[in-house]
Amino acid sequence: MLNIEHLYFSYSNKPNLLQDINFSVNTGDYISIIGANGSGKSTLVRLILGLLQPSSGTIENSFANMAYVPQRFNQLNTHFPITVKEILYCYKNVRRKYVNKKINDVLTLLHMENEENTLIGQLSGGQCQKVFIARALLSDPELLILDEPSNGIDRQSQAEIYNFLLHLNRQDKTTVICVEHNLQAALKNSTAFYHIEKGKGHICLPEQYVKEYIKSDLGENKGNVYL
Amino acid sequence: MFTYSFMQNAFLISIFIAALCPVIGMFLVLRRYSMMGDTLSHASLAGISVGMLFEQNPVLSAFLMVSLFSIIIEWLRKHFRTYAELILVIILSLSIGIAITLLSSGLVHANIDSLMFGSILTVTLTDFYWVLFFSVVSLFLVYKFYSALMFMVFDEEGAAIAGVNVRLINYLFAIIVAATISISIRIVGILVISSLIALPIAAALQLEMGFRKTLLFGVIFSYIDIFSGIIISYWINAAPGGIIAINAVLLLLCVLSYKRIVRSGRVI
Repeated sequence: MLNIEHLYFSYSNKPNLLQDINFSVNTGDYISIIGANGSGKSTLVRLILGLLQPSSGTIENSFANMAYVPQRFNQLNTHFPITVKEILYCYKNVRRKYVNKKINDVLTLLHMENEENTLIGQLSGGQCQKVFIARALLSDPELLILDEPSNGIDRQSQAEIYNFLLHLNRQDKTTVICVEHNLQAALKNSTAFYHIEKGKGHICLPEQYVKEYIKSDLGENKGNVYL
Repeated sequence: MFTYSFMQNAFLISIFIAALCPVIGMFLVLRRYSMMGDTLSHASLAGISVGMLFEQNPVLSAFLMVSLFSIIIEWLRKHFRTYAELILVIILSLSIGIAITLLSSGLVHANIDSLMFGSILTVTLTDFYWVLFFSVVSLFLVYKFYSALMFMVFDEEGAAIAGVNVRLINYLFAIIVAATISISIRIVGILVISSLIALPIAAALQLEMGFRKTLLFGVIFSYIDIFSGIIISYWINAAPGGIIAINAVLLLLCVLSYKRIVRSGRVI
């Protein structure tokens, strides 16, 4: 279980980016963190991951084994000389204590078994995201945290990834926290939303969020609805 | 040529530095820190000057000084994230300042030419033992932390989340870089050490392969650069550093040409 209480955070000498954040994540939940750009969604994830320290408040995390899937296009150097297999190999070696799956098995799970010797820069956005998901799955995590998994990815790959995440959550009972811009996918997969607005957040059910915040009729919207 | 003991020593030392330089170069180049070799080689000049001032072994004093400066660079990296190259300029200035002051004041008498350009004549058996010690320890540490280092250069934040002690390994790597530079300057010289660190990897990167293969080809190119450099320097009686640097650039050009030919062949 992950329990966040009265969490405040600000980057040095700046106003609070996050104020009085309170929420819990139980085993089997699929929580989508949503909000406008710059609202502090990714910062909240970085706090959960321990990359940042809260200004005040507490984060209690009893998930012994968690894994993270970063934003695909965030920092990736597409000319980096590394193959898919090498990315998984170094992760496997540094997390030897937790890793209980074989590289080939996780690649097969994501239909990437033929790409193990391909350089990361030669993959499409969707394939690249699958590699990072495969890397995270090597350790069979209890909690999987993703940061905008559909960012910069074609629609077919998005569908594959979200179906896979849904399966992972509902069948394998992996708890998922996902920073999300893709509202359609979030509505389909999430058990709850955590909506951040002007630094403050609240938990709500997906349908509740649609009623309160989305003015347009989703049924008439053909494409993805982004926040 | 091999009947001379200085040539034997030079070749023995080269076996180790030819492997070590591209190995650390791989991680430096991919972190966009190729000029760190140049900066630290100047720090080694300061180290040698201080060592001579106190009549200590120059390889050891260079190692201590370069270790100190490389740890400072690593520490400053957190404070100058946006202008990381500034750190190298700061350390380079300080190193040159110390070295020039000591060497020009007359307190230290050193053969500056051999330090700057490298020399196969001045390599002693004691130097070889130092090189052997530092090389074995450095290569062992790189081997031991290979996965963590590869993970960190590809995705430092991901490595930290996965539980890698990023800070400790960065400091450890800084000391390995210091050791490599301290032992290499006797052969290749202060002015060309960075070419030995960066150019074999630059050539290997052109082949567009995975991490392990790029590293392997970097080491092969480094052996070609150094051994051919030493042999030519013996025959034409010139400093090995310059020839090694020229060879490294020529080899890079050959690889680029090969790549171009292969690509144009594919188009046809």
